[in-house]
Amino acid sequence: MADENKDKAITSKRKVGVYICYCGGNISDHVDVEKVRERIEKLPEVAAVRTNMFMCSDPGQEMIMEDLKSGAIDRVVVASCAPSLHETTFRGAISRAGRNPYIYEHANIREQVSWVHHGDKATDKATRLVSMATAKAEQLNPLEPIRVEAGKHVTVIGGGIAGLRAAKDLADRGIKVVLLEKSPFLGGQLASLDQIAPTGDKAADLVSDLAGQVLNDDSITVHTCSEVESFEGYVGNFRLGVKKQPPEMDPEKIKPPGAAGEAAGEFIPFAGVYNGDMPSVPAEFTVETGVIILATGFKSYMPSKGEYGFGEYEQVTTLPELIRSMAENKAAGNLMEFNGRKIRSMAMIHCVGSRQIPGIHPENEGGYLNEYCSRTCCSATLNVSNIIRTSHPGTRIFEFYRDIRTYGRGQEELYEEAARNQVVFLRFEDDASPEVVRNISHSGDFPLMVKVKDTLTFGEDVGAPVDLVVLVTGVEPNTISDLVEMMKLPVGTDRFLLEVHPKLRPVELPISGILLAGTCQAPMDVGEACNAAGAAAVKAAALLGRGYVELDPFVALVDLEKCGGTGECVNACLSDGALNMVDMEVDGQTVRRAQVTPALCLGCGVCVGVCPENAIEVAGWTLKQYEAMVDRIVAEEVTA
Amino acid sequence: MNSIQKTDFDVLVVGGGIAGLQTALDLGDQDYSVAIVEKDATIGGKMIRLSKVFPTLDCASCITTPKMASAAHHDNITLFTYCDVNSLDRMGQTVTANVTQRPRYVDPDKCIGCRQCEYHCPVYVSDAEQGGFSATKAISIPFSNAIPQVAVMDVENCMLCGKCEKVCPTHAIDYFQEPEQFVIKAKSAVLTTGFELTPVSNKHQYGRGEIPNVIDSMQMERLLAPHGPYNRVLRPSDGMEPDSIAYVQCAGSRDKSMGISYCSRVCCMYAVKQAMLLSGSLPLADITIYYMDIRAFGKGYEQFYQNSRAMGIEFINGKFAKISEDENGGVYLRSKSQNGEGGVTASHDLVVLSLGMVPGWNPEGICPVSADSDHFVKTIRPALSPTLTDMEGVFVAGTAAGPKDIVDTITESGAAAIEAAKYMTAREHSRKAAASHR
Amino acid sequence: MTSLADNQSEGKILILATETCAYPGADSVGQAHSSYPANTFILRVRAPALFPEHFYLDCFNKGISGIIIMSCGEECPYDGAYKAMATRLDRVYVMMRQQELDIRRLRLTAICTVCNRAFLNEVNQMNKVVQELGPPQMAQS
Repeated sequence: MADENKDKAITSKRKVGVYICYCGGNISDHVDVEKVRERIEKLPEVAAVRTNMFMCSDPGQEMIMEDLKSGAIDRVVVASCAPSLHETTFRGAISRAGRNPYIYEHANIREQVSWVHHGDKATDKATRLVSMATAKAEQLNPLEPIRVEAGKHVTVIGGGIAGLRAAKDLADRGIKVVLLEKSPFLGGQLASLDQIAPTGDKAADLVSDLAGQVLNDDSITVHTCSEVESFEGYVGNFRLGVKKQPPEMDPEKIKPPGAAGEAAGEFIPFAGVYNGDMPSVPAEFTVETGVIILATGFKSYMPSKGEYGFGEYEQVTTLPELIRSMAENKAAGNLMEFNGRKIRSMAMIHCVGSRQIPGIHPENEGGYLNEYCSRTCCSATLNVSNIIRTSHPGTRIFEFYRDIRTYGRGQEELYEEAARNQVVFLRFEDDASPEVVRNISHSGDFPLMVKVKDTLTFGEDVGAPVDLVVLVTGVEPNTISDLVEMMKLPVGTDRFLLEVHPKLRPVELPISGILLAGTCQAPMDVGEACNAAGAAAVKAAALLGRGYVELDPFVALVDLEKCGGTGECVNACLSDGALNMVDMEVDGQTVRRAQVTPALCLGCGVCVGVCPENAIEVAGWTLKQYEAMVDRIVAEEVTA
Repeated sequence: MNSIQKTDFDVLVVGGGIAGLQTALDLGDQDYSVAIVEKDATIGGKMIRLSKVFPTLDCASCITTPKMASAAHHDNITLFTYCDVNSLDRMGQTVTANVTQRPRYVDPDKCIGCRQCEYHCPVYVSDAEQGGFSATKAISIPFSNAIPQVAVMDVENCMLCGKCEKVCPTHAIDYFQEPEQFVIKAKSAVLTTGFELTPVSNKHQYGRGEIPNVIDSMQMERLLAPHGPYNRVLRPSDGMEPDSIAYVQCAGSRDKSMGISYCSRVCCMYAVKQAMLLSGSLPLADITIYYMDIRAFGKGYEQFYQNSRAMGIEFINGKFAKISEDENGGVYLRSKSQNGEGGVTASHDLVVLSLGMVPGWNPEGICPVSADSDHFVKTIRPALSPTLTDMEGVFVAGTAAGPKDIVDTITESGAAAIEAAKYMTAREHSRKAAASHR
Repeated sequence: MTSLADNQSEGKILILATETCAYPGADSVGQAHSSYPANTFILRVRAPALFPEHFYLDCFNKGISGIIIMSCGEECPYDGAYKAMATRLDRVYVMMRQQELDIRRLRLTAICTVCNRAFLNEVNQMNKVVQELGPPQMAQS
């Protein structure tokens, strides 16, 4: 092995400069730095070894820069503290000397030597770490960041409040936006609400305000009745095929806009803002875009037949239906009216379609459970209860709940107000859901009875006779299986889109350039959805701000001379599309070879480990470099 | 790092916790120059002091340090640590802050973070960074992953023996350092001033913080941290491994007697998290959480809560009335139960108060921005633009605008960054328009 | 002056430490000045899935006595890499058995950025194994 190294030495074309730091005694008290220098000087690839009290100081850095400028060295190793502290410092010095910063390797001889080992062992280990670094440095090549040209253009999919917010934020930053919405309206689910809790804003005002800003912004092109049909490309260079077609309208719910002469930009209750764009024939077009923001939103949970009497008793409805009924019938009166009936007493049952527990709740039709909390329903329900109790003081309200989750600013006040309004709260355990039955036993002519074991009153069995049962239905992600399939979007067990990491990269997906905004990710209220949209917009703005995207140069490289076209790397690759088999001409013959799309490569090196020909490497982290380092660990002459 | 050279920036971020760091990174990445002014000697805020974070149980340091390092190394971000903002106001087109650099008695440009001073200092002081459970020295680096890695002298306790000055290899010790005043000018500001734990010293029901085995939730974070004071969970009074641990929820939240009617949003989840971590480190201990409502509303939180129940953590619905000490160092807990028998009494070896959040900063007399009735910074368009304050060009993010968990804080910081960027873009447009008019 | 401390008989331990978790974790041990055996050599890696099966066998062949892969575990930044890694190791273990190498010489573990105790524990455990087993002897080298 020693001889091998000597042979290499003779052919070594590299001149590695080594700079060893005393760290003011932190290293030199335990490591004999001068002895390390003497030993390292003997290594064949090493052209200069210098020591300094503080290598990170200006004089220390100057020393490196001078050696580079004079041509004495062409590779740099600094042996000092942990690379997390000063790697960038020394790469910066190399750049200032006009050299490529990637010709640098760090030897960590403080945190991993002088602070944990002592005496000769420390000196020997430091020597080895430095010699390993020089062996790697010998094989380092200059690298250039991968620069991908990126159109200053974002496509937002979904015209709900999050999509509108993201689009407007980006337009205000000078970025062109295409907004795609599959319905004829802007405003999403917010348009189906009336008064928002706890801010008291009118949903109509919020939607009109933001949709109006979007429609009036020249930088934003809005396509309603439009869906994405195809997807290709990578960050900075996505291509979306879009189909625009006349909508299938539910005549019960929504009149075709325009029919009644609605003007563009007008808010239609429980539908949204109509943008005056109603296609009469299908059309297809392509959008070229730099970043895609998914704002595909949510839908309300639809109870299954028989769930708390839903679909069995006409007096059982859902919160969205109640909100709509109240908005359409605002006449004051002692008793609230619902579907023409006077409501003397009503029950609100919380957590319908939310917080479902395996083994307790039956699976939904699709074979899943909604185990999550839908976050917004407690406040929404209390808000509705307060409105009813204020405008219709004769209508009694019973709320059946598990936990009241009025977490947000101004929400606890809604809870207190409901108590003041004499809303009756009954609390049930997870495994003891209330029962909705026909009222036969009690006097009075209330059609239904809600029975529960109330934990607030010593676990007493309580029955509330009511005219109306309102199921507080939760939030489910919109069905976007086509997009999920097309773009290979990660979906969590809760069926919402799954971010890379909830704290490190909360609005990003593993696919660079595709971002999340709003309730496609998790249940959120309006303010939270707008915050999420802003967070997505700021990431998009940062990505596209310079007109190009710079990516780490640490990506896979294929050695075409060695590649045998087995395709093992493509099978192992964790990033869809980063590695492909392509036909190419080699010596006049057409062969299949692996090809890297650097913009999609994560640089993880999984491909390296599977290639039977050793024909693929990660730039800057090659297997050969590691092997050279291992050789130095075992080489006897290093510490001789 | 703190030699004050540049004082004109695009954005001033007040507070270097996770909200401030994320805001600064999101602005810096758009090529805006950002100043972060932090009152503490290190950036990282409350988050870097946590053990693990819910609901992923990632180690807090692993999530915070990358953001701290990115901010510290960012070309467009300048850190001003150990600084107080004395005033923050708008003058015409400029947000102006008068700042005091408090003396560390260590030259930050010379200090190399080697801790020789700390090792040689003969004065031991209680280490607030470890919940007061262990000692540090009168000169020290705040903790291992602090940024910057610069020592700070505790002048209250220093006895001027001169040892640190002698051993410092770079002669960074400066006993004569004076506070330094300077002015930061910016086009826009983002308030990320964070929170403090609800003070309990005047709440006699909680023992006013004087019962040794009644600790607060941040102290428990330290006991649970992999680099905590004891490397395991021991109760403070006698170093015993506690066999039964209780959490008192809503201690300092939803409590009008303390003037705090709001929910602090994170206490349910951190109690559940700590309970799960405790059952890992003390498998035989009984853990009980006394609560009013479990508010597990975020992504993955309800599932996390249900997992903790499946693990055997006991949840008892009830409000407590009084905490007192029993003769064996145990803690006697009398609670008014919501769910029956008119009250529970129990004795536990260790009680954790799940303290809530109060604002970390009061703008009164410093900045004309309004606070709301909850004393957190008031936001004027909470639905569509939740980070707008009533001061032009001044935005707010994170717990400065009300209790929030880390996920919501980080998202809101992105939103504040885009609002600040939009504000500066609009101003640039009107400036150009005015210029072309002339 | 050649030290005996660094001679082959002590057995060298190679540590593959991920740059996002275990490598800063090792630095954290250093910041705490916690001593551990000096026959340990840490290589900073992006993801240990980079190393093919033969890399491990080659290391043993070259005289490395023990290898600890310190990964990020479930916190792996590359979705799927940890699983790929674990599967590969199963094959390496088979190959080690064929070479009559004690499989305790190779260990996969997860180390976080402040997992000081876990780091020390792993290193000391492996050192014990290496001292007990002595230098690696390959069946067909």
